[in-house]
Amino acid sequence: MDQNNNPPPYAQGAMTPGIPIFSLMMLYGTGLTPQPIQNTNSLSILEEQQRQQQQQQQQQQAAVAAVQQSTSQQATQGASGQTPQLFHSQTLTTAPLPGTTPLYPSPMTPITPATPASESSGIVPQLQNIVSTVNLGCKLDLKTIALHAGNAEYNSKWFAAVIMRIREPQTTALIFSSGKMVRTGAKSEEQSRLAARKYARVVQKLGVPAKFLDFKIQNMVGSCDVKFPIRLEGFVLTHQQFSSYEPELFPGLIHRMIKPRIVLLIFVSGKVILTGAKVRAEIYEAFENIYPILKGFRKTT
Amino acid sequence: MPGGGRCPDCGSTELVEDSHYSQNQLVCSDCGCVVTEGVLTTTYTDEGNLREVTYSRSTGENEQVSRSQQRGLRRVRDLCRVLQLPPTFEDTAVAYYQQAYQHSGIRAARLQKKEVLVGCCVLITCRQRNWPLTMGTICTLLYADLDMFSGTYMQMVKLLGLDVPSLCLVDLVKTYCSSFKLFEASPSVPAKYVEDKEKMLSRTLQLVELADETWLVTGRHPLPVITAATFLAWQSLRPSDRLTCSLARFCKLANVDLPYPASSRLQELLAVLLRLAEQLAWLQVLKLDKRSVVAHIGDLLQHRHMLVRKAFRDGTAEPGALDTGEEELQGQGWGREDRGHGSLDLPAGKRPASPALLLPPCMLKPPKRICPTPPVSTVTGDENISDSEIEQYLRTPQEVRDFQRAQAARQAATSVPNPP
Repeated sequence: MDQNNNPPPYAQGAMTPGIPIFSLMMLYGTGLTPQPIQNTNSLSILEEQQRQQQQQQQQQQAAVAAVQQSTSQQATQGASGQTPQLFHSQTLTTAPLPGTTPLYPSPMTPITPATPASESSGIVPQLQNIVSTVNLGCKLDLKTIALHAGNAEYNSKWFAAVIMRIREPQTTALIFSSGKMVRTGAKSEEQSRLAARKYARVVQKLGVPAKFLDFKIQNMVGSCDVKFPIRLEGFVLTHQQFSSYEPELFPGLIHRMIKPRIVLLIFVSGKVILTGAKVRAEIYEAFENIYPILKGFRKTT
Repeated sequence: MPGGGRCPDCGSTELVEDSHYSQNQLVCSDCGCVVTEGVLTTTYTDEGNLREVTYSRSTGENEQVSRSQQRGLRRVRDLCRVLQLPPTFEDTAVAYYQQAYQHSGIRAARLQKKEVLVGCCVLITCRQRNWPLTMGTICTLLYADLDMFSGTYMQMVKLLGLDVPSLCLVDLVKTYCSSFKLFEASPSVPAKYVEDKEKMLSRTLQLVELADETWLVTGRHPLPVITAATFLAWQSLRPSDRLTCSLARFCKLANVDLPYPASSRLQELLAVLLRLAEQLAWLQVLKLDKRSVVAHIGDLLQHRHMLVRKAFRDGTAEPGALDTGEEELQGQGWGREDRGHGSLDLPAGKRPASPALLLPPCMLKPPKRICPTPPVSTVTGDENISDSEIEQYLRTPQEVRDFQRAQAARQAATSVPNPP
């Protein structure tokens, strides 16, 4: 096993488990790219996946994958002298990739803030839907767009916008005549951005000088399952100021968390839906806040 | 007589403020010379104080009680009287209505919404005084849609920042059961169906409590559960004569509406009772089914606390636990043996975590579709978008022509009147 455990001094401890999401921007700047894999003998499945991804999308995905590997390594092994793969274009420094990284328990998407899953809950909410808006920067003639685009619907009597859908990533957009566009259906922020660019490109191909201004994520919805039943009547008794439980109207309990400002729908089967977030970290934070409270309503025999 | 001014012509100090129509002027009273005059036009800042006053502010309508508000307040009082609520409730409900009316969103709402608001105020008053009134009742009385009602209700609770306690199940059972017309014989109710009110009430309460313990009430509308429990209680008090009567017929006899989910709640409750019956020594030998278990409901309810605990345990333990169960029941009294449980108290208290056996029905049913975990995808959002991918979404010129032709044809077809 060619483990190269000589981390350059400046790199040691540069990336710690608690790295927040915005540091990705720093890494983009430092030009990180992945290292060729040293040993393929005892790679876990996740490592295998990462390797394939790296080989396919080297130029653009490079920094992303590097963060993923190093954060997963860091998270599972602590900041124990792992070399982040610093890579300046000419030099090919070999970086160690431990062959026996344990499989990371939860399904992580690449740009997850590195909260280790072994924190309080071990459950990571999955994002289900992201709503974003973008301004195409020019007025649009909806009738022409609806005529020339095969994936568009336009019914001026019902709703004053064109409804356009694309297959990859599977999303829907509402395009208004003012040039503003609302996009829904993506499962991650990057997918949302990619889809918005595709819509803009479709509109461009129709001869409209569309631009891509002010991309903003308006809402994110996540869901997860705590896997035990919850006594909603008890919960609403203790959290009456923030919760509303009306079984005659809706089977779930509506809990409005103040910090972060998220609305949670809690059901008796243990499923929790979180909505109202502008960034992914708010959803994770809200879930970590609610999980101990929910556990309190479950006594283990 | 302003001081300190001198007429430039004659030098006198007798200057008088005298307006010529709307123009202010300072005039010397001796020689009539106009010393200064005001401006005929006003500047924007001057007009700040004189700007046009809106109708709503000038008529004082915000200080008075408007006609629609008066009508609403009358409706609140009428509704309280129809429901035969105590007089104090009326005043509280009226106060809530007035409070809600202060908010501009409510004031400008449609009449339909204001009508529903009347019901919301009455409902909130009843909830706060533990008077069991369901939303369904109010919606029926107001001929309102439950969706509209729920929206207005949630909005009102949020606007006024109210603390509305949940519906009290015990009180609801008492009022609902009392409304069943089965307590005296009549032409439509034969003698064998008549039942004593107190007995039926107490047994229904026990059944509802059992349903609550076994996760049949949380998250569901309370009324169908109570209907099912009342039906079972009534049947079990005289099973030989009443087993032949169905739930629908029972509700018709009692002159009560049958809520749609009541039959599935009934099945769930019977399933729970059957499971409890498996734990009772003298019932294990009889192979009970959903009909025959009704006759033994009395016994099951008498020992329900212990049976539920056992049903819990049997969920995790092996069938060998049945023998220990028999020993326990040999003597009449079962002691609170230390099996590591807390005491089982009222439905609203905390319950032990359920093993696989005692779960809400939604968790026991197999999932309708297996949600695949999404593949770990690395998408940056900045990838290149290939032209061919975009081309697939655009129509070819031929398709455009076809589409236009089809649209024109459809227009023509809809404009031609149908031949008789």
